[in-house]
Amino acid sequence: MLRKVTVIFTVLIVLSLQFVPGCKKGETTSVDKKVLIIGFDGMDPVILQKLIDEGKMPTFKKLAEEGTFKPLQTSMPPQSPVAWSNFITGMNPGGHGIFDFIHRDPQTLMPYLSTSKAEEPKKKISIGNWVIPLSAGKVELLRHGKSFWEILEDKGIPCTVYMIPANFPPVECEARTLSGMGTPDILGTYGTYSYYSNVRPEMKNDELSGGRFYEVNVADGRVDASLVGPKNTFKKDAPDASVNFSVLIDPQNSVGKIVLPDKEIFLKEGEWSEWTRVEFKLIPYLQNVSGICRFYLKETHPDFKLYVTPINLNPEDPALPISTPSGFSKEIYENIGYFYTQGMPEDTKALTAGIFTDGDFLTQATMAFQGELDGYRYMLSQFDKGLLFFYFSSTDQQSHMFWRNHDSSSPAFKEEGFDKYGDVIEKLYQRMDIVLGEAIKKVDDKTSIYVMSDHGFAPFNWSFNLNTWLLDNGYISLIDPSKQEEGELFANVDWQRTKAYGLGLNGLYINISGREPEGIVSQGEEREKLVNELVEKLENIVDPKTGKKVIRKAYKREDIYSGKYVEQAPDIIVGFDRGYRISWESSLGKFPKELVADNKDPWSGDHCMAYDVVPGILLTNRKIKTENPALYDMAPTILAEFGVDKESDMVGSSIF
Amino acid sequence: MFGGSKIKLDSELLKKVKKYSDIAGYSSVEEFITHAIEKELAALEDSDSEEEIKKKLQGLGYIS
Repeated sequence: MLRKVTVIFTVLIVLSLQFVPGCKKGETTSVDKKVLIIGFDGMDPVILQKLIDEGKMPTFKKLAEEGTFKPLQTSMPPQSPVAWSNFITGMNPGGHGIFDFIHRDPQTLMPYLSTSKAEEPKKKISIGNWVIPLSAGKVELLRHGKSFWEILEDKGIPCTVYMIPANFPPVECEARTLSGMGTPDILGTYGTYSYYSNVRPEMKNDELSGGRFYEVNVADGRVDASLVGPKNTFKKDAPDASVNFSVLIDPQNSVGKIVLPDKEIFLKEGEWSEWTRVEFKLIPYLQNVSGICRFYLKETHPDFKLYVTPINLNPEDPALPISTPSGFSKEIYENIGYFYTQGMPEDTKALTAGIFTDGDFLTQATMAFQGELDGYRYMLSQFDKGLLFFYFSSTDQQSHMFWRNHDSSSPAFKEEGFDKYGDVIEKLYQRMDIVLGEAIKKVDDKTSIYVMSDHGFAPFNWSFNLNTWLLDNGYISLIDPSKQEEGELFANVDWQRTKAYGLGLNGLYINISGREPEGIVSQGEEREKLVNELVEKLENIVDPKTGKKVIRKAYKREDIYSGKYVEQAPDIIVGFDRGYRISWESSLGKFPKELVADNKDPWSGDHCMAYDVVPGILLTNRKIKTENPALYDMAPTILAEFGVDKESDMVGSSIF
Repeated sequence: MFGGSKIKLDSELLKKVKKYSDIAGYSSVEEFITHAIEKELAALEDSDSEEEIKKKLQGLGYIS
């Protein structure tokens, strides 16, 4: 009865709001109100406070003094797709359904990127060597819940949302949006670079993670090779589409000429090309796919080394939807030129593989940042009403890769790295102070300014093999224990004798009967008992080398999530303590022998830990009333700025 | 009998299979089951291989 009354009351309120000026579609009470939000992915409150105290970030300092600076509670787990989804929807993962970078299909246990799914056309017809689709394929955004900009646009408040993560493909709406993290390259991957050389790089299992190596011959100063594009699904057996190119190397000087079908590019050794458009012909004269890439001629003599960026979707004519309206990406291109459309453009994988040096990576990351900065300046010049959200990825990606150079506790720390690159993160933060300053100069006193990050940062010194721990403790059985370290994606697992498994960066799943294909644990009491047992044991794991606790807290999904999608979450979310993270191998179902290993990878900073280890930042030019603001408070706060009520399924509240 | 192998079906399921193979115009129960299995396999073969899935995810940086 109480519920019925509440529903009627709510309906009455909603109906009455339709007659209040400002709540009708197309009108607003806050015509003059402007809100600017700058999102610095991974900006850390401890580093920021230190630099403010040292007088190195005067603009941030001024904003903090005139308004407020607080840590911003991140999501659990503190992974960007999860955290930004909290921000976008005002919900926790139980409401928006994004629990990790990686989810698994419970039917097949196959992993996939959590935020989007691509489907091929269901109906095709074969004619000779050609396969013609009769229905369109589609890409689907898997994040649930209404974004704050959809709600604002419904009230007639114009919004621009630039490169926001967890919004690919961009949700259909009237706002101007450009998708960010989660946007693939032309191959449909999350970034695959190409490396051409006559010298084979060091590779694991003869392959480069996140890249492709093409061994080339240098004959008479000439190299012939191909840029490999998407699969040509119009042809039988779907061969790779490609564009041939040659490199002519000057015998005397360290220069080369890259010859493409419709252009030539001259590069000195160590030089990067501008963005270059390439066309992959799928059906001659009828169907092309357009991409953009940059060439880096790393070496001409004595060896040949050429790096090519992942081939990005061309913003002029993207093969997949990346903006709303669809012409918005073209408008950006027409004003700033080509830019990285791929989410998280910094090529961390090329550095990890040794294809890039630290210096190469810094150059490439700076180019990616410059593209963001060009977009930022263009968007600021357009910003005269409503809301502008702008996202910067650099603070996250450079902190991942350069942490080892400023923190001597890192197993990957080297003195020479400290001397050359020990101040990269600090200098980057200082650049962001200038970035913020540019915005403050542009906006008027009616503008509310928010500067925020989705999470902070911590060292990633030790990697923990969660699946190995489950194996050692009898929760996983292998078909052939002598092949423990072989295969991945749980290939050697005897599911009929396995009770739990880890997948993704913080997820632990119970092998549930009726949910997993060969589940053996019953829902209800048996599951609950097992979850409790695992939580207790996980929280008591001690690293034998350091004597430190590995897991700060293991969270039961029921305790931290609410909403329609709780049942799809991992059964336990593992909150690693500072310094620890899931191992590279365990996240995709491998079983290295060692339980805890030193992380000597260049990827040396991280945040996939317990949420209270890595809070984000929040600064505004207003005084925050909430003691501990959280990411899911941001959407209700932004709505409140424009006098709009929050949605009933939002768990957060306005911070004022 | 399928290519020399036998499979067991629950009696209730078998009843349904018999009923619907007639309705759908299949000439035999075997033909209906073979078609259903082929359709299911085609859907699985269309999806990404393990190798392709791994390649797609590697660019994330967070995994190797």
